Amino acid sequence: MASKPISSGRGGDGRIAFLLLVVPLGLLAATLIVPMVSAITISLRDIRVIGSDGPFAGLDNYARVLGDGTFWHALGISVVWVVGNAVVQTILALTAALVLNEKFPGVRVARVWIILTWIIPTVVVVIIWRWLLSPSGGMVNPLLIQLGIIDRPMGFFASGPAAMTSLILINSWRWFPFVAIMLLAGLQRIPNDIYEAAAVDGAGAIARFRAITWPLLQPTLLVLTVMGTLLSFNVFDIIWLLTAGGPAGGTETLPVLIYETAFKAYRMGDAAAMSVVASVLMIGLALVLLDRLAPKETAR
Amino acid sequence: MKRGPLGWLVLALAVLALAFLVLAPMWLVGTSSFKLPREIINRVPTWFPRSFTLQHYQKLLQTSAFPTYFLNSVLVAASSAFVTVVLALMAGYAFFRLEFRGRDLLYRLIMVAYAFPSIVILIPIYLMFAKVGLIDTDLALVLVNVTFALPFSIWMMRTFFASLPRELEEAAAIDGAGRWKTVVHVLIPLLRPGIAAIAIFAFVASWTEYLFASVLIISDAKRTLPVGLSGIIGQYQIDWGLLLAGASLSVLPVVVFFAFVGRWFVAGLTEGAVK
Repeated sequence: MASKPISSGRGGDGRIAFLLLVVPLGLLAATLIVPMVSAITISLRDIRVIGSDGPFAGLDNYARVLGDGTFWHALGISVVWVVGNAVVQTILALTAALVLNEKFPGVRVARVWIILTWIIPTVVVVIIWRWLLSPSGGMVNPLLIQLGIIDRPMGFFASGPAAMTSLILINSWRWFPFVAIMLLAGLQRIPNDIYEAAAVDGAGAIARFRAITWPLLQPTLLVLTVMGTLLSFNVFDIIWLLTAGGPAGGTETLPVLIYETAFKAYRMGDAAAMSVVASVLMIGLALVLLDRLAPKETAR
Repeated sequence: MKRGPLGWLVLALAVLALAFLVLAPMWLVGTSSFKLPREIINRVPTWFPRSFTLQHYQKLLQTSAFPTYFLNSVLVAASSAFVTVVLALMAGYAFFRLEFRGRDLLYRLIMVAYAFPSIVILIPIYLMFAKVGLIDTDLALVLVNVTFALPFSIWMMRTFFASLPRELEEAAAIDGAGRWKTVVHVLIPLLRPGIAAIAIFAFVASWTEYLFASVLIISDAKRTLPVGLSGIIGQYQIDWGLLLAGASLSVLPVVVFFAFVGRWFVAGLTEGAVK
Protein backbone atom coordinates (compact mmCIF):
# COMPACT_ATOMS: atom_id res chain seq x y z
CA MET A 1 0.00 0.00 0.00
CA ALA A 2 3.10 2.16 -0.02
CA SER A 3 2.52 4.15 -3.19
CA LYS A 4 -1.25 4.22 -3.45
CA PRO A 5 -3.00 7.56 -3.97
CA ILE A 6 -4.88 9.08 -1.00
CA SER A 7 -8.36 8.28 -2.18
CA SER A 8 -8.87 5.22 -4.28
CA GLY A 9 -12.55 5.71 -4.96
CA ARG A 10 -15.71 4.82 -3.09
CA GLY A 11 -15.42 1.84 -0.80
CA GLY A 12 -11.84 1.29 -1.88
CA ASP A 13 -10.38 2.03 1.55
CA GLY A 14 -12.02 -0.90 3.26
CA ARG A 15 -8.87 -2.90 3.88
CA ILE A 16 -6.88 -0.01 5.37
CA ALA A 17 -9.87 1.10 7.41
CA PHE A 18 -10.19 -2.39 8.81
CA LEU A 19 -6.50 -2.50 9.74
CA LEU A 20 -6.74 0.88 11.44
CA LEU A 21 -9.98 0.20 13.27
CA VAL A 22 -9.48 -3.35 14.43
CA VAL A 23 -7.50 -2.43 17.55
CA PRO A 24 -9.48 0.64 18.75
CA LEU A 25 -12.85 -0.96 18.05
CA GLY A 26 -11.71 -4.33 19.36
CA LEU A 27 -10.74 -2.70 22.65
CA LEU A 28 -14.05 -0.86 22.92
CA ALA A 29 -15.94 -4.05 22.13
CA ALA A 30 -14.02 -6.02 24.76
CA THR A 31 -14.25 -3.43 27.52
CA LEU A 32 -17.61 -1.77 26.84
CA ILE A 33 -19.91 -3.96 24.79
CA VAL A 34 -18.98 -7.38 26.19
CA PRO A 35 -19.30 -6.13 29.81
CA MET A 36 -22.65 -4.51 29.04
CA VAL A 37 -23.99 -7.78 27.71
CA SER A 38 -22.47 -9.78 30.53
CA ALA A 39 -24.02 -7.40 33.08
CA ILE A 40 -27.30 -8.92 31.96
CA THR A 41 -26.11 -12.51 32.32
CA ILE A 42 -24.58 -11.76 35.72
CA SER A 43 -27.87 -10.25 36.84
CA LEU A 44 -29.56 -13.58 36.11
CA ARG A 45 -27.15 -15.56 38.28
CA ASP A 46 -26.62 -15.99 41.97
CA ILE A 47 -22.91 -15.23 42.30
CA ARG A 48 -21.47 -15.65 45.77
CA VAL A 49 -17.83 -16.52 45.11
CA ILE A 50 -15.71 -14.30 42.84
CA GLY A 51 -14.49 -16.31 39.87
CA SER A 52 -17.37 -18.78 39.89
CA ASP A 53 -20.39 -18.30 37.67
CA GLY A 54 -22.94 -19.26 40.29
CA PRO A 55 -26.25 -21.04 39.65
CA PHE A 56 -28.81 -19.61 37.24
CA ALA A 57 -31.36 -17.66 39.23
CA GLY A 58 -33.73 -16.38 36.57
CA LEU A 59 -35.34 -13.13 37.57
CA ASP A 60 -34.90 -13.75 41.31
CA ASN A 61 -32.33 -10.95 41.65
CA TYR A 62 -34.66 -8.52 39.92
CA ALA A 63 -37.60 -9.56 42.09
CA ARG A 64 -35.57 -9.16 45.28
CA VAL A 65 -34.04 -5.84 44.28
CA LEU A 66 -37.24 -4.27 43.00
CA GLY A 67 -39.24 -5.58 45.97
CA ASP A 68 -36.83 -3.91 48.39
CA GLY A 69 -37.35 -0.33 49.48
CA THR A 70 -33.64 0.59 49.37
CA PHE A 71 -33.56 0.48 45.56
CA TRP A 72 -36.49 2.87 45.23
CA HIS A 73 -35.11 5.10 47.95
CA ALA A 74 -31.77 5.33 46.13
CA LEU A 75 -33.57 6.00 42.85
CA GLY A 76 -35.41 8.90 44.52
CA ILE A 77 -32.12 10.27 45.88
CA SER A 78 -30.60 9.95 42.41
CA VAL A 79 -33.47 11.96 40.91
CA VAL A 80 -32.91 14.76 43.46
CA TRP A 81 -29.17 14.62 42.72
CA VAL A 82 -29.57 14.77 38.93
CA VAL A 83 -32.21 17.53 38.97
CA GLY A 84 -30.32 19.57 41.58
CA ASN A 85 -27.11 19.38 39.57
CA ALA A 86 -28.87 20.24 36.32
CA VAL A 87 -30.46 23.36 37.83
CA VAL A 88 -27.41 24.66 39.71
CA GLN A 89 -24.96 23.89 36.91
CA THR A 90 -27.12 25.42 34.20
CA ILE A 91 -27.52 28.67 36.12
CA LEU A 92 -23.82 28.92 37.00
CA ALA A 93 -22.62 27.82 33.57
CA LEU A 94 -24.94 30.11 31.64
CA THR A 95 -23.81 33.08 33.72
CA ALA A 96 -20.18 32.17 33.23
CA ALA A 97 -20.64 31.59 29.49
CA LEU A 98 -22.35 34.97 29.04
CA VAL A 99 -19.50 36.67 30.90
CA LEU A 100 -16.83 34.84 28.88
CA ASN A 101 -18.61 35.71 25.63
CA GLU A 102 -17.92 39.39 26.29
CA LYS A 103 -14.68 41.10 25.33
CA PHE A 104 -12.52 42.25 28.22
CA PRO A 105 -8.81 42.25 29.01
CA GLY A 106 -7.70 38.72 29.86
CA VAL A 107 -10.75 36.99 28.41
CA ARG A 108 -8.67 34.55 26.36
CA VAL A 109 -6.81 33.39 29.45
CA ALA A 110 -10.08 33.16 31.37
CA ARG A 111 -11.67 30.99 28.67
CA VAL A 112 -8.94 28.41 29.12
CA TRP A 113 -8.34 28.54 32.86
CA ILE A 114 -11.96 28.56 33.98
CA ILE A 115 -11.83 24.81 33.45
CA LEU A 116 -9.31 24.50 36.29
CA THR A 117 -11.87 23.02 38.70
CA TRP A 118 -12.58 20.27 36.19
CA ILE A 119 -9.00 19.12 35.63
CA ILE A 120 -8.14 18.61 39.29
CA PRO A 121 -8.72 15.11 40.69
CA THR A 122 -12.02 14.48 42.44
CA VAL A 123 -10.19 13.39 45.56
CA VAL A 124 -8.60 16.85 45.68
CA VAL A 125 -12.03 18.47 45.24
CA VAL A 126 -13.11 16.37 48.22
CA ILE A 127 -10.15 17.44 50.36
CA ILE A 128 -10.61 21.11 49.41
CA TRP A 129 -14.28 21.24 50.36
CA ARG A 130 -14.12 19.00 53.40
CA TRP A 131 -11.56 21.39 54.79
CA LEU A 132 -13.27 24.62 53.67
CA LEU A 133 -16.58 23.41 55.15
CA SER A 134 -15.11 21.94 58.32
CA PRO A 135 -15.63 23.64 61.67
CA SER A 136 -11.86 23.56 62.31
CA GLY A 137 -10.13 26.08 60.09
CA GLY A 138 -12.72 26.04 57.30
CA MET A 139 -13.25 29.39 55.58
CA VAL A 140 -16.89 29.00 54.53
CA ASN A 141 -18.58 29.27 57.95
CA PRO A 142 -16.71 32.45 59.00
CA LEU A 143 -17.33 33.95 55.55
CA LEU A 144 -21.07 33.27 55.67
CA ILE A 145 -21.24 34.71 59.19
CA GLN A 146 -19.33 37.81 58.09
CA LEU A 147 -21.73 38.28 55.19
CA GLY A 148 -24.65 37.94 57.61
CA ILE A 149 -26.12 34.91 55.84
CA ILE A 150 -25.98 32.69 58.92
CA ASP A 151 -25.46 33.68 62.56
CA ARG A 152 -23.69 30.59 63.87
CA PRO A 153 -21.55 27.89 62.26
CA MET A 154 -23.61 25.28 60.46
CA GLY A 155 -22.95 21.57 59.86
CA PHE A 156 -22.85 21.17 56.11
CA PHE A 157 -23.15 17.39 56.28
CA ALA A 158 -25.19 17.11 59.49
CA SER A 159 -28.52 16.05 57.95
CA GLY A 160 -29.55 14.31 54.74
CA PRO A 161 -30.89 17.44 53.00
CA ALA A 162 -27.92 19.56 54.17
CA ALA A 163 -25.44 16.96 52.95
CA MET A 164 -27.30 16.63 49.64
CA THR A 165 -27.27 20.41 49.12
CA SER A 166 -23.55 20.61 49.94
CA LEU A 167 -22.77 17.73 47.57
CA ILE A 168 -24.77 19.27 44.72
CA LEU A 169 -23.01 22.61 45.17
CA ILE A 170 -19.56 20.99 45.35
CA ASN A 171 -20.18 18.80 42.29
CA SER A 172 -21.54 21.82 40.42
CA TRP A 173 -18.43 23.79 41.35
CA ARG A 174 -16.41 21.05 39.69
CA TRP A 175 -18.55 20.73 36.56
CA PHE A 176 -20.01 24.16 35.77
CA PRO A 177 -16.88 25.45 33.94
CA PHE A 178 -16.98 22.45 31.59
CA VAL A 179 -20.64 23.14 30.79
CA ALA A 180 -19.85 26.87 30.50
CA ILE A 181 -17.22 26.22 27.82
CA MET A 182 -19.68 24.09 25.84
CA LEU A 183 -22.33 26.82 26.17
CA LEU A 184 -19.77 29.43 25.14
CA ALA A 185 -19.20 27.47 21.94
CA GLY A 186 -22.96 27.61 21.34
CA LEU A 187 -23.00 31.36 22.04
CA GLN A 188 -20.18 32.00 19.59
CA ARG A 189 -22.07 30.25 16.82
CA ILE A 190 -24.80 32.92 17.06
CA PRO A 191 -23.93 35.48 14.36
CA ASN A 192 -23.03 38.89 15.73
CA ASP A 193 -25.10 40.68 13.06
CA ILE A 194 -28.34 39.60 14.75
CA TYR A 195 -27.31 41.34 17.98
CA GLU A 196 -26.21 44.44 16.15
CA ALA A 197 -29.46 44.64 14.19
CA ALA A 198 -31.42 44.24 17.44
CA ALA A 199 -29.32 46.92 19.13
CA VAL A 200 -29.97 49.30 16.23
CA ASP A 201 -33.67 48.63 16.68
CA GLY A 202 -33.26 49.77 20.28
CA ALA A 203 -33.41 46.40 22.06
CA GLY A 204 -31.68 46.49 25.47
CA ALA A 205 -29.37 43.80 26.81
CA ILE A 206 -32.15 41.88 28.55
CA ALA A 207 -34.47 42.07 25.55
CA ARG A 208 -31.66 40.84 23.30
CA PHE A 209 -31.00 37.90 25.62
CA ARG A 210 -34.67 36.88 25.65
CA ALA A 211 -35.27 37.33 21.95
CA ILE A 212 -31.99 36.05 20.50
CA THR A 213 -29.61 34.30 22.90
CA TRP A 214 -32.08 32.13 24.81
CA PRO A 215 -33.96 30.66 21.83
CA LEU A 216 -30.83 30.18 19.71
CA LEU A 217 -29.05 28.48 22.61
CA GLN A 218 -31.79 25.87 23.02
CA PRO A 219 -30.19 23.13 20.87
CA THR A 220 -26.91 23.43 22.80
CA LEU A 221 -28.76 23.45 26.12
CA LEU A 222 -30.72 20.37 25.12
CA VAL A 223 -27.62 18.36 24.26
CA LEU A 224 -25.93 19.50 27.46
CA THR A 225 -28.98 18.62 29.56
CA VAL A 226 -29.03 15.08 28.21
CA MET A 227 -25.25 14.72 28.51
CA GLY A 228 -25.26 16.31 31.97
CA THR A 229 -28.05 14.03 33.17
CA LEU A 230 -26.10 10.93 32.14
CA LEU A 231 -22.83 12.29 33.53
CA SER A 232 -24.17 13.40 36.88
CA PHE A 233 -26.23 10.25 37.34
CA ASN A 234 -22.91 8.38 37.04
CA VAL A 235 -21.03 10.46 39.59
CA PHE A 236 -19.79 8.20 42.33
CA ASP A 237 -16.46 9.22 43.77
CA ILE A 238 -17.37 12.66 45.08
CA ILE A 239 -20.40 11.29 46.97
CA TRP A 240 -18.60 8.21 48.21
CA LEU A 241 -15.61 10.15 49.51
CA LEU A 242 -17.59 12.97 51.14
CA THR A 243 -20.58 11.21 52.71
CA ALA A 244 -20.41 7.53 51.65
CA GLY A 245 -24.17 7.82 51.10
CA GLY A 246 -24.91 9.11 54.61
CA PRO A 247 -26.13 10.46 56.90
CA ALA A 248 -28.76 7.71 57.21
CA GLY A 249 -28.85 7.05 53.47
CA GLY A 250 -29.67 10.69 52.75
CA THR A 251 -27.17 10.86 49.87
CA GLU A 252 -27.21 7.23 48.81
CA THR A 253 -27.66 7.49 45.05
CA LEU A 254 -28.01 4.40 42.86
CA PRO A 255 -24.30 4.16 41.93
CA VAL A 256 -23.41 4.29 45.64
CA LEU A 257 -25.96 1.59 46.45
CA ILE A 258 -24.74 -0.58 43.54
CA TYR A 259 -21.11 -0.18 44.65
CA GLU A 260 -21.96 -1.11 48.24
CA THR A 261 -24.04 -4.09 47.19
CA ALA A 262 -21.29 -5.40 44.90
CA PHE A 263 -18.11 -4.63 46.80
CA LYS A 264 -19.14 -4.36 50.46
CA ALA A 265 -21.92 -6.96 50.62
CA TYR A 266 -20.51 -9.01 47.70
CA ARG A 267 -23.97 -9.56 46.20
CA MET A 268 -22.80 -9.27 42.58
CA GLY A 269 -26.02 -10.62 41.06
CA ASP A 270 -28.22 -8.12 42.91
CA ALA A 271 -25.86 -5.26 42.07
CA ALA A 272 -25.81 -6.24 38.40
CA ALA A 273 -29.61 -6.40 38.35
CA MET A 274 -29.79 -2.89 39.83
CA SER A 275 -27.28 -1.58 37.30
CA VAL A 276 -29.25 -3.08 34.40
CA VAL A 277 -32.48 -1.47 35.64
CA ALA A 278 -30.59 1.81 36.10
CA SER A 279 -29.22 1.75 32.54
CA VAL A 280 -32.63 1.00 31.07
CA LEU A 281 -34.04 3.96 33.02
CA MET A 282 -31.19 6.26 31.94
CA ILE A 283 -31.38 5.34 28.27
CA GLY A 284 -35.16 5.70 28.39
CA LEU A 285 -34.83 9.10 30.04
CA ALA A 286 -32.26 10.27 27.49
CA LEU A 287 -34.53 9.19 24.62
CA VAL A 288 -37.56 10.88 26.19
CA LEU A 289 -35.61 14.09 26.80
CA LEU A 290 -34.31 14.19 23.23
CA ASP A 291 -37.70 13.36 21.80
CA ARG A 292 -39.88 15.57 23.99
CA LEU A 293 -37.64 18.60 24.08
CA ALA A 294 -36.25 18.64 20.57
CA PRO A 295 -39.29 19.22 18.28
CA LYS A 296 -40.59 22.07 20.44
CA GLU A 297 -37.30 23.93 20.22
CA THR A 298 -36.94 23.62 16.46
CA ALA A 299 -40.52 24.73 15.92
CA ARG A 300 -39.85 28.05 17.58
CA MET B 1 -21.14 46.37 20.78
CA LYS B 2 -20.74 49.53 22.85
CA ARG B 3 -20.74 49.10 26.59
CA GLY B 4 -21.64 51.91 28.96
CA PRO B 5 -20.10 52.50 32.41
CA LEU B 6 -22.89 50.46 34.04
CA GLY B 7 -22.21 47.62 31.62
CA TRP B 8 -18.52 47.66 32.50
CA LEU B 9 -19.31 47.66 36.22
CA VAL B 10 -21.64 44.66 35.96
CA LEU B 11 -19.12 42.81 33.79
CA ALA B 12 -16.23 43.58 36.14
CA LEU B 13 -18.20 42.36 39.16
CA ALA B 14 -19.22 39.19 37.34
CA VAL B 15 -15.65 38.46 36.25
CA LEU B 16 -14.37 39.02 39.78
CA ALA B 17 -17.08 36.78 41.27
CA LEU B 18 -16.23 34.05 38.78
CA ALA B 19 -12.51 34.34 39.42
CA PHE B 20 -13.16 34.25 43.18
CA LEU B 21 -15.35 31.15 42.87
CA VAL B 22 -12.75 29.23 40.89
CA LEU B 23 -9.51 30.55 42.38
CA ALA B 24 -10.21 31.32 46.05
CA PRO B 25 -10.48 27.65 47.10
CA MET B 26 -7.25 26.87 45.22
CA TRP B 27 -5.49 29.82 46.79
CA LEU B 28 -6.59 28.83 50.29
CA VAL B 29 -5.48 25.22 49.86
CA GLY B 30 -2.19 26.08 48.17
CA THR B 31 -1.14 28.73 50.70
CA SER B 32 -2.42 26.83 53.71
CA SER B 33 -0.27 23.82 52.86
CA PHE B 34 2.66 26.00 54.01
CA LYS B 35 1.01 27.11 57.27
CA LEU B 36 1.79 25.72 60.70
CA PRO B 37 -0.80 23.17 61.89
CA ARG B 38 -2.32 25.49 64.46
CA GLU B 39 -2.88 28.19 61.87
CA ILE B 40 -4.53 25.67 59.53
CA ILE B 41 -7.17 24.64 62.08
CA ASN B 42 -7.53 28.09 63.65
CA ARG B 43 -11.12 29.12 64.44
CA VAL B 44 -10.44 32.38 62.62
CA PRO B 45 -8.97 31.29 59.28
CA THR B 46 -6.49 33.53 57.49
CA TRP B 47 -6.58 34.50 53.80
CA PHE B 48 -2.86 35.20 53.82
CA PRO B 49 -0.44 32.90 55.67
CA ARG B 50 1.13 34.21 58.88
CA SER B 51 3.45 31.27 59.35
CA PHE B 52 5.65 29.27 57.03
CA THR B 53 6.73 25.67 57.20
CA LEU B 54 7.67 22.84 54.88
CA GLN B 55 6.88 20.21 57.49
CA HIS B 56 3.75 18.93 55.72
CA TYR B 57 5.62 18.39 52.47
CA GLN B 58 8.49 16.76 54.35
CA LYS B 59 6.12 14.38 56.10
CA LEU B 60 4.26 13.66 52.87
CA LEU B 61 7.36 12.86 50.86
CA GLN B 62 9.36 11.09 53.56
CA THR B 63 6.97 9.15 55.77
CA SER B 64 3.83 8.58 53.72
CA ALA B 65 3.30 6.39 50.65
CA PHE B 66 2.43 9.49 48.62
CA PRO B 67 5.52 9.33 46.35
CA THR B 68 4.61 5.75 45.39
CA TYR B 69 1.01 6.74 44.58
CA PHE B 70 2.27 9.73 42.63
CA LEU B 71 4.65 7.67 40.48
CA ASN B 72 2.01 5.01 39.87
CA SER B 73 -0.40 7.70 38.73
CA VAL B 74 2.17 9.29 36.42
CA LEU B 75 2.91 5.89 34.89
CA VAL B 76 -0.76 4.93 34.43
CA ALA B 77 -1.85 8.37 33.21
CA ALA B 78 1.05 8.76 30.77
CA SER B 79 0.55 5.26 29.35
CA SER B 80 -3.20 5.81 29.06
CA ALA B 81 -2.65 9.14 27.30
CA PHE B 82 -0.13 7.61 24.89
CA VAL B 83 -2.31 4.64 23.98
CA THR B 84 -5.38 6.86 23.64
CA VAL B 85 -3.56 9.21 21.27
CA VAL B 86 -2.31 6.36 19.07
CA LEU B 87 -5.71 4.65 18.90
CA ALA B 88 -7.59 7.92 18.38
CA LEU B 89 -5.25 8.84 15.52
CA MET B 90 -5.80 5.46 13.87
CA ALA B 91 -9.56 5.63 14.30
CA GLY B 92 -9.63 9.32 13.36
CA TYR B 93 -7.79 8.68 10.11
CA ALA B 94 -10.18 5.86 9.25
CA PHE B 95 -13.31 7.82 10.13
CA PHE B 96 -12.39 11.22 8.77
CA ARG B 97 -10.10 10.41 5.84
CA LEU B 98 -11.22 7.08 4.43
CA GLU B 99 -14.37 5.88 2.77
CA PHE B 100 -15.71 2.48 3.61
CA ARG B 101 -19.02 0.78 4.11
CA GLY B 102 -20.63 1.15 7.53
CA ARG B 103 -18.44 4.10 8.50
CA ASP B 104 -21.21 6.38 9.76
CA LEU B 105 -22.96 3.56 11.58
CA LEU B 106 -19.76 2.54 13.39
CA TYR B 107 -19.00 6.13 14.30
CA ARG B 108 -22.46 6.61 15.78
CA LEU B 109 -22.24 3.33 17.66
CA ILE B 110 -19.05 4.50 19.38
CA MET B 111 -20.70 7.72 20.48
CA VAL B 112 -23.73 5.86 21.87
CA ALA B 113 -21.52 3.48 23.82
CA TYR B 114 -20.29 6.49 25.76
CA ALA B 115 -23.74 7.19 27.14
CA PHE B 116 -23.98 4.00 29.21
CA PRO B 117 -23.50 4.35 32.98
CA SER B 118 -19.96 3.31 33.91
CA ILE B 119 -21.26 1.61 37.03
CA VAL B 120 -22.92 -0.99 34.77
CA ILE B 121 -19.64 -2.24 33.40
CA LEU B 122 -17.80 -2.07 36.74
CA ILE B 123 -19.03 -5.46 37.97
CA PRO B 124 -18.59 -7.37 34.66
CA ILE B 125 -15.12 -5.82 34.17
CA TYR B 126 -14.11 -6.79 37.67
CA LEU B 127 -15.28 -10.40 37.20
CA MET B 128 -13.74 -10.56 33.71
CA PHE B 129 -10.38 -9.18 34.85
CA ALA B 130 -10.41 -11.53 37.84
CA LYS B 131 -10.75 -14.48 35.45
CA VAL B 132 -7.84 -13.46 33.23
CA GLY B 133 -5.57 -12.35 36.07
CA LEU B 134 -5.59 -8.64 35.38
CA ILE B 135 -6.65 -7.63 38.88
CA ASP B 136 -3.97 -5.60 40.69
CA THR B 137 -2.08 -4.68 37.50
CA ASP B 138 -1.37 -1.30 35.95
CA LEU B 139 -2.47 -2.73 32.62
CA ALA B 140 -6.02 -3.14 33.95
CA LEU B 141 -6.20 0.57 34.77
CA VAL B 142 -4.70 1.59 31.43
CA LEU B 143 -7.24 -0.56 29.56
CA VAL B 144 -10.14 0.95 31.47
CA ASN B 145 -8.87 4.52 31.19
CA VAL B 146 -8.30 4.21 27.44
CA THR B 147 -11.76 2.76 27.00
CA PHE B 148 -13.35 5.73 28.73
CA ALA B 149 -11.21 8.35 27.01
CA LEU B 150 -11.30 6.93 23.49
CA PRO B 151 -14.86 7.74 22.27
CA PHE B 152 -14.62 11.37 23.38
CA SER B 153 -11.11 11.62 21.91
CA ILE B 154 -12.27 10.34 18.53
CA TRP B 155 -15.07 12.91 18.68
CA MET B 156 -12.53 15.68 19.42
CA MET B 157 -10.27 14.47 16.56
CA ARG B 158 -13.06 15.29 14.12
CA THR B 159 -12.50 19.05 14.58
CA PHE B 160 -8.77 18.81 14.02
CA PHE B 161 -9.04 16.60 10.95
CA ALA B 162 -11.71 18.93 9.55
CA SER B 163 -9.39 21.93 10.00
CA LEU B 164 -6.80 20.40 7.66
CA PRO B 165 -7.54 20.72 3.94
CA ARG B 166 -7.32 17.38 2.12
CA GLU B 167 -5.44 19.19 -0.65
CA LEU B 168 -2.32 19.14 1.53
CA GLU B 169 -2.26 15.38 1.60
CA GLU B 170 -3.21 15.17 -2.05
CA ALA B 171 -0.35 17.48 -2.97
CA ALA B 172 2.06 15.27 -1.05
CA ALA B 173 0.66 12.24 -2.85
CA ILE B 174 1.18 13.90 -6.22
CA ASP B 175 4.77 14.64 -5.21
CA GLY B 176 5.19 10.91 -4.95
CA ALA B 177 4.92 10.46 -1.20
CA GLY B 178 3.13 7.26 -0.26
CA ARG B 179 0.23 7.14 2.16
CA TRP B 180 2.42 6.22 5.09
CA LYS B 181 4.95 8.98 4.36
CA THR B 182 2.15 11.51 3.92
CA VAL B 183 0.66 10.59 7.29
CA VAL B 184 3.96 10.72 9.15
CA HIS B 185 5.47 13.82 7.52
CA VAL B 186 2.40 15.90 6.67
CA LEU B 187 -0.64 14.86 8.66
CA ILE B 188 0.75 14.08 12.11
CA PRO B 189 2.81 17.28 12.43
CA LEU B 190 -0.25 19.33 11.45
CA LEU B 191 -2.43 17.41 13.89
CA ARG B 192 -0.25 18.32 16.87
CA PRO B 193 -2.90 20.56 18.47
CA GLY B 194 -5.40 17.71 18.30
CA ILE B 195 -2.87 15.28 19.69
CA ALA B 196 -2.19 17.68 22.56
CA ALA B 197 -5.92 18.06 23.26
CA ILE B 198 -6.46 14.31 23.39
CA ALA B 199 -3.33 13.71 25.44
CA ILE B 200 -4.38 16.18 28.14
CA PHE B 201 -7.94 14.85 28.16
CA ALA B 202 -6.84 11.23 28.56
CA PHE B 203 -4.17 12.19 31.09
CA VAL B 204 -6.60 14.18 33.24
CA ALA B 205 -9.30 11.51 33.01
CA SER B 206 -6.98 8.82 34.23
CA TRP B 207 -5.28 11.09 36.80
CA THR B 208 -8.74 11.58 38.35
CA GLU B 209 -10.18 8.09 37.98
CA TYR B 210 -11.24 6.67 41.33
CA LEU B 211 -14.02 4.10 40.93
CA PHE B 212 -12.23 1.46 38.86
CA ALA B 213 -8.88 2.08 40.54
CA SER B 214 -10.48 1.42 43.92
CA VAL B 215 -11.80 -1.94 42.79
CA LEU B 216 -9.17 -3.23 40.35
CA ILE B 217 -6.10 -2.44 42.47
CA ILE B 218 -5.64 -4.32 45.71
CA SER B 219 -2.06 -3.88 46.95
CA ASP B 220 -1.04 -0.58 48.49
CA ALA B 221 2.19 -0.43 46.45
CA LYS B 222 0.18 -0.25 43.21
CA ARG B 223 -2.37 2.35 44.29
CA THR B 224 -2.84 5.47 42.21
CA LEU B 225 -3.17 8.95 43.72
CA PRO B 226 -6.98 9.26 44.04
CA VAL B 227 -7.35 6.00 45.95
CA GLY B 228 -4.11 6.42 47.88
CA LEU B 229 -4.91 9.96 48.92
CA SER B 230 -8.43 9.01 49.95
CA GLY B 231 -6.86 6.35 52.17
CA ILE B 232 -4.82 9.06 53.86
CA ILE B 233 -8.03 11.08 54.48
CA GLY B 234 -9.56 8.11 56.25
CA GLN B 235 -6.60 7.46 58.52
CA TYR B 236 -7.07 8.06 62.28
CA GLN B 237 -7.29 11.77 63.02
CA ILE B 238 -7.40 14.03 59.98
CA ASP B 239 -4.01 15.66 59.41
CA TRP B 240 -5.14 18.66 57.37
CA GLY B 241 -1.62 19.96 56.73
CA LEU B 242 -0.62 16.65 55.22
CA LEU B 243 -3.78 16.46 53.10
CA LEU B 244 -3.50 20.04 51.85
CA ALA B 245 0.11 19.40 50.83
CA GLY B 246 -0.97 16.18 49.12
CA ALA B 247 -3.82 17.98 47.37
CA SER B 248 -1.50 20.75 46.14
CA LEU B 249 1.07 18.31 44.78
CA SER B 250 -1.65 16.24 43.08
CA VAL B 251 -2.91 19.28 41.20
CA LEU B 252 0.55 20.38 40.07
CA PRO B 253 1.20 17.97 37.13
CA VAL B 254 -2.17 18.55 35.46
CA VAL B 255 -1.86 22.31 35.88
CA VAL B 256 1.64 22.34 34.35
CA PHE B 257 0.49 20.09 31.49
CA PHE B 258 -2.59 22.26 31.00
CA ALA B 259 -0.53 25.46 30.92
CA PHE B 260 1.14 24.21 27.73
CA VAL B 261 -1.76 22.65 25.87
CA GLY B 262 -4.88 23.95 27.62
CA ARG B 263 -5.99 26.17 24.76
CA TRP B 264 -5.94 23.24 22.32
CA PHE B 265 -8.03 21.25 24.72
CA VAL B 266 -10.64 24.01 24.92
CA ALA B 267 -10.58 24.27 21.11
CA GLY B 268 -11.16 20.53 20.82
CA LEU B 269 -13.92 20.64 23.41
CA THR B 270 -15.79 23.33 21.52
CA GLU B 271 -15.14 22.12 17.98
CA GLY B 272 -12.95 25.17 17.51
CA ALA B 273 -15.79 27.62 18.07
CA VAL B 274 -14.08 29.45 20.95
CA LYS B 275 -11.28 31.75 19.91
